Amino acid sequence: MKKILFISITVLMLASCTTQKPLYTWGKYEITSYNYLKNSDEKSTQQLIETYQNIIEKQKGSRGVVPPGVYADYGFVLLQANKTEEGKAMLLKEVALYPESKIFIDRILKIIEE
Amino acid sequence: MKNILFIIVVAFLSSCTTTAPIAKSVAYKGIYDEKPLTVLLMPPINRSTNVEAKEYFHSTLNIPIANSGFYVIPTFLSMEILKKESAYDAELFLNSPLTKFGEVFGADLAVFTIIHKWDKSGLAAKVYVQVEYIIKSTKTNEVVYTRTGDVTYDASVSTGVGGAWGALADIAASAINTAATKYVDVARACNAYTFKDLPAGKYSPIYGTDGEQLAGKKIFKVRLNSKYR
Repeated sequence: MKKILFISITVLMLASCTTQKPLYTWGKYEITSYNYLKNSDEKSTQQLIETYQNIIEKQKGSRGVVPPGVYADYGFVLLQANKTEEGKAMLLKEVALYPESKIFIDRILKIIEE
Repeated sequence: MKNILFIIVVAFLSSCTTTAPIAKSVAYKGIYDEKPLTVLLMPPINRSTNVEAKEYFHSTLNIPIANSGFYVIPTFLSMEILKKESAYDAELFLNSPLTKFGEVFGADLAVFTIIHKWDKSGLAAKVYVQVEYIIKSTKTNEVVYTRTGDVTYDASVSTGVGGAWGALADIAASAINTAATKYVDVARACNAYTFKDLPAGKYSPIYGTDGEQLAGKKIFKVRLNSKYR
């Protein structure tokens, strides 16, 4: 009796604390975005681009879609690296996936064209 | 027998508790009323003596908020626009109307982060952070969420070897852990811990159904390490 009670309560305890699968997975986003924020040199840009590609291609989150902002910031980093066409294409992917982004993506496209 | 049951029940309760017994729908009423989707991260306000602290927080804020189900406006893009609009200093907007951010970004919420303290202690590899989070509605300018944490982050990596040699090995292992990686993780842990009780956003499967869950303490003290997720 004791044993059953103990096991069932332990199971309940563990179940109540488990963290569910996250909505999105982000790979090495934090450290690579920090390095880019800090240095913006060729190495940190390349590493951040790899992180974005990884998030996009190997997304393992429960929603199964690219997280908010990733296409957009990836596009922005490409624009900064003078990859204009590729960058714009990414910005438009963000709008397609997250229509709420249209308002500021339009603004950034305007800034680029100035 | 009764005693065992009692101990187990206590263990069960303490394993997940937040002690403040307020439901999230009450503590964060504005969020449940307004049903915001889009979140703008304001550049963190750094009042600590460590100039680097701002960037540590800036690069780690979006993940916990996006993973709660909100649309977080991409950081590098928003930085660029804020700079162009001469609005990069978040301090200026802490107590002023935020409607402009709604117009320019379509933001429903603005997240302010104030780093009050960021102190390191040498050999023990501990970082002590005091950080305040304020989320305001761009529509009503009301504070819809705020928490302040006193966080002690233990960056020492235990080698699992006991005794004096073990202690030396631990110090060496901590030093190898590069500074930037370590400090980015300090900010990550602070953000992850704080936003655990953020109401679920529209992209979350539990959106609109988590109001009965309990909100965390408004002012909290916690010890964290790199394993905290």
